[in-house]
Amino acid sequence: MRLITHNMLKCHVKNCTDPDRQFPLRFKDVQLEQIEAERNDEFLVRMLPRIDWPALLKTTKELGIELPETVPDAPADDEGFLQALHTAILETHVRQGTMLCDGCSHEYKITNGIANMLLAEHEI
Amino acid sequence: MPSFILHFAHYHEDFRLAELHALSELEGVRISYDKDEYSAGSPILLVDIESTAQATKLVRRAILIRSVSEYWGSGATYAELFGEVKRTPERWAEYKHQSFKFTVDGFGRSLTQAEKVAVIESFSFMGFEGPIRMKAPEMEFLVCEDYGRTNLPVPPETPKKLWFGRIVGRGSRQLVDMFDVKKRKYLGNTTMDAELSLVMANQALARPGALVYDPFVGTGSFLLTCSYFGACSVGSDIDGRQIRGTAGFRKGVNGISANLAQYQLADRVLDTAVFDVCRNPWRSGPLFDAIVTDPPYGVRAGAKRLGRKNGTVPEHSFTIVDGVENHKRSDYYPPTVAYEMSDVISDLLELAAEKLVVGGRLVYWLPTVVNEYEPKDVPLHPALKLVANSEQPFGGWSRRLITMEKIAELGHLDEPAGTSSAQKHDPAHKNFRDKYFNKFEPLDAL
Repeated sequence: MRLITHNMLKCHVKNCTDPDRQFPLRFKDVQLEQIEAERNDEFLVRMLPRIDWPALLKTTKELGIELPETVPDAPADDEGFLQALHTAILETHVRQGTMLCDGCSHEYKITNGIANMLLAEHEI
Repeated sequence: MPSFILHFAHYHEDFRLAELHALSELEGVRISYDKDEYSAGSPILLVDIESTAQATKLVRRAILIRSVSEYWGSGATYAELFGEVKRTPERWAEYKHQSFKFTVDGFGRSLTQAEKVAVIESFSFMGFEGPIRMKAPEMEFLVCEDYGRTNLPVPPETPKKLWFGRIVGRGSRQLVDMFDVKKRKYLGNTTMDAELSLVMANQALARPGALVYDPFVGTGSFLLTCSYFGACSVGSDIDGRQIRGTAGFRKGVNGISANLAQYQLADRVLDTAVFDVCRNPWRSGPLFDAIVTDPPYGVRAGAKRLGRKNGTVPEHSFTIVDGVENHKRSDYYPPTVAYEMSDVISDLLELAAEKLVVGGRLVYWLPTVVNEYEPKDVPLHPALKLVANSEQPFGGWSRRLITMEKIAELGHLDEPAGTSSAQKHDPAHKNFRDKYFNKFEPLDAL
């Protein structure tokens, strides 16, 4: 799973609704993989407003990935910023691991990059 | 504005105008034409476009348009056509010394090589002196003889109409072969054919910068075509085996990832995940530029959602199996219930209304019963505008490719959200699965 996708996912267990705990999901026991990808500036710039920056910062810090603290005023012109963003959200993959909810402790497993986010019978 | 000849492919006729309008929007090319001139039975539509460059751009991604040509003349006879062509001889001078080729196409009649050569020679009055080149000529002319219909046992002797123009742009029909499902490393029994998967990518305005989502991703056909056109894409499915490729066809290639390697789209197909779209983990608010999907009709793929038939029994999650709480077992599958077709569709519209950005598109297939269908069957939503509705017939049933555009945020609606057009009648797609397996006979006739 790429960090851009993780940035769009929250815990959706029944009654787990505290926004500060259900998002972002916390990574645990992860195996990361960096895979080079072609730069896609149009996409990066267009997605920026949809990215939750504080959440992304929190997650990248937890994983030890470099990311600037703030979004520059003219991100489209900032090569350094775009490259760092690209590496963090498009080139960093969680191959194996767990996404843990701080609110209800549900653990979503990631296997071969694909997350299982089906809810159990008591969670719907 | 100058006139151009659009030469359509003769497939999926009901989809052609919808694709043309999607391309006009996508490429930012204004077009105008006489609606009464368009016919599903004709291979040609005359369209006004601002310039040759715009015309070339308009069709470059087209799957159902073969080419676009500058309009040079037309007529019921060659005499008429030549008369019109001869009114602008100054055009020919420009091309006098260039290499050229004529393509003569008979619609509704197969022309022999001799017939084609005769047609080409009749244009010699234009005085081209350049060499004839079959491959990569500097200019190419299209002559289209429209005999009216393609299904007569004996084609008519004389054409209904003749068209002539200089080809200035081509569509992308070669992609149909490139994405042919028979060539795919991974597929399943619900994989959509290449031609329509590509048309859907155009309907969705998939392009660089966009993020596309398929909530019933299956084997990933739409992720491939949307990402081929430059969009990034994500998909989800309640059935992880389809995504991972651990059941059904072509096991052992690791599912969707095999196709990403084959088509070199791993950079843009971002992720797939396993979840029930009814219980989806997406963060709230608009996230996607398009939602492109073929929802399960309950026929080949059982349409299901999380739940238990007479209500969930939470205790089942905690039964101890082999020393482990049931829901914590690595091979735990939560129970599912049938997901009825009209619920699938109305939930899909709610999802689109919330998760699309304004201007974003929902493109989905609506199965329907031919002798019950009425236009009011197509569900509506106050935040979404109906853009296109194209039918692919299969006899007793058909499916319709519906395109909708989000026009307002949920908070800014005049009607409260959640009021999909309250359908007082039962649409033809309600209980589609039962109707399909009863061969579309009225249920009370059984």
